[in-house]
Amino acid sequence: MPSLTGETARLTKGWSLSRQYSALGMLLILPTLLTFLLVIVYPLVYAVYLSFFSIYTPTLQGEWVGLENYRRMLSSSEFWTSLRTTIVWTVSTLTLQVVVGILMALLLNLKFHFQSLARSLVLFPYFVSTVVAVLIWRWMFNDVYGILNRALLASGLSDMPLDWIGSMPNAMISVVLVGTWKYFPFVVIAVLARLQTIPSELYEAARIDGANAWSRFWDITLPQLWDVLVVIILLRTIWDFKEFDLIYLLTGGGPVTSTQTLPLLVYKQAFGMNAMGQASTYAIGILVVLLIFMVLYLYRTQGRGGQDA
Amino acid sequence: MREDSARSRFLISLIVWPIILIIVFPFIWMVLTSIKPQTELFRIPPSFWPTRITFEHYATLFEQTSFLKYMRNSIILSTMTTVVVIVIAVLGAYSLTRFIYPGRERIATLVLLTYLLPSVVLVLPLYLMMVRIGVANSLFSLVIAYVSFALPYALWLLRSFMASMPEDLESAALVDGASRLGAFFDIVLPQTLPGIVSTALFTFIAAWNEYFYALILVNTDEARPATTGVISMLVTSFNIEWSLLMAASVAMSLPLIIIFMFLQGFLLRGFAGTGVKG
Repeated sequence: MPSLTGETARLTKGWSLSRQYSALGMLLILPTLLTFLLVIVYPLVYAVYLSFFSIYTPTLQGEWVGLENYRRMLSSSEFWTSLRTTIVWTVSTLTLQVVVGILMALLLNLKFHFQSLARSLVLFPYFVSTVVAVLIWRWMFNDVYGILNRALLASGLSDMPLDWIGSMPNAMISVVLVGTWKYFPFVVIAVLARLQTIPSELYEAARIDGANAWSRFWDITLPQLWDVLVVIILLRTIWDFKEFDLIYLLTGGGPVTSTQTLPLLVYKQAFGMNAMGQASTYAIGILVVLLIFMVLYLYRTQGRGGQDA
Repeated sequence: MREDSARSRFLISLIVWPIILIIVFPFIWMVLTSIKPQTELFRIPPSFWPTRITFEHYATLFEQTSFLKYMRNSIILSTMTTVVVIVIAVLGAYSLTRFIYPGRERIATLVLLTYLLPSVVLVLPLYLMMVRIGVANSLFSLVIAYVSFALPYALWLLRSFMASMPEDLESAALVDGASRLGAFFDIVLPQTLPGIVSTALFTFIAAWNEYFYALILVNTDEARPATTGVISMLVTSFNIEWSLLMAASVAMSLPLIIIFMFLQGFLLRGFAGTGVKG
């Protein structure tokens, strides 16, 4: 883009410096906008368009069916069951992530031996690939040779091996546990960062007033954490709601469809039932639900002086 | 007083470290499984520590399976995605933080929104797009798809990075007669380099770990990354090769551990608490 560098632009008569700058600014954002248009905006519009068609996946041929897919979605019991499963999964794993995350952040904020090593180790589940995480857990969940069942039998807590992922409600509990283990470090990172910015004078003043540790947590720590917690909860709601990898790899939605969340239903419709148009409709359904949280998130972060990292 | 705090440190360590061990236990178990002889894996009573350490599973994995091909695909894919995303995002973030033009705030909001967009909405149209333009089943199609989630994320990270940089040096250079792009290369780029490197590493991790798009867009061993490759190769409904899978898991996680060591100080300093892709 040599034609609009500062030097040449400065020679262009009749253009004020600020006009040149804003032109350069627009030029620099252009690659971003074009890429967005190609890989995000166009597919997004296309997804809505697809949801009005009946498309056979192997041939990708189809015909316009209007709102038929939407009518079918709303009258299909599988959709409502999956929606309920998605909500159960999201609410349970999110609650555990937040509770465990806050507790862990509070612990890691104390002074102890090898504190920074501990902080790094705790983040690791979050950074490892979901594929790796799930493979390890499936190996640990193994009926006969899994370490969890072996420990359970050896400790005498149970005289029968547990079927961790093949029956209900075990399968849902296992998925929620693995989800919590995988994603609570996200809460730890964010909360820990915020904890370090709470002025210590607040605690000192409270201590002088005779507040115990519990009331210091309720009266100082929690109110100070509130803003960051709201943002964490909104982000994690969006990410947990759309989670595919973890559940698909761990249970495949099973047993039967008892852990089948909406993203898994989209996949099944598109590539199991070969109904790509219908699958698109489900995807749009997910988007509509998530839009509420996206708007809330935007309102929360933009309304308070721009982006917060 | 001093003795008291030393004792409390010790007590807290006594509480925290067992919890940490439970959290990282799955990784310890992964490594132990991968170096145990096959017979020990299925022995009753089980052995916790391997009585004999063996690297035979790694040898089998590298020599007799397509694992190295998948790893090569993953490396190419993640590197290409990172390069494309960082080039576009550095320019974009610079524009969004240092220039004033109509629509700028709206674009910034759009970036944030797309960052939260679920990939399950984009994957079907992207699949159709790839088939129609004839690039389906290629690493190239995955790069395109990965850009759709990695670019908003990188832009978002870089934007907050650049916004936190003081503008004094840049302004001084402009007053001294440097061009805007000259100042960009001489001052802004070196100044934000740590941020750019971190963003690049996060992008690399996100691409390296990606599974969903790879599952749907690629259906051939030639273009399969390690995430989907390992599953399709070693997990069948009849048999699951646990020792090979654990060896593969270790191998797939090694690059992440290395990158993680670079990033940890950065993460723990509190940057980007909410800026990590989930």
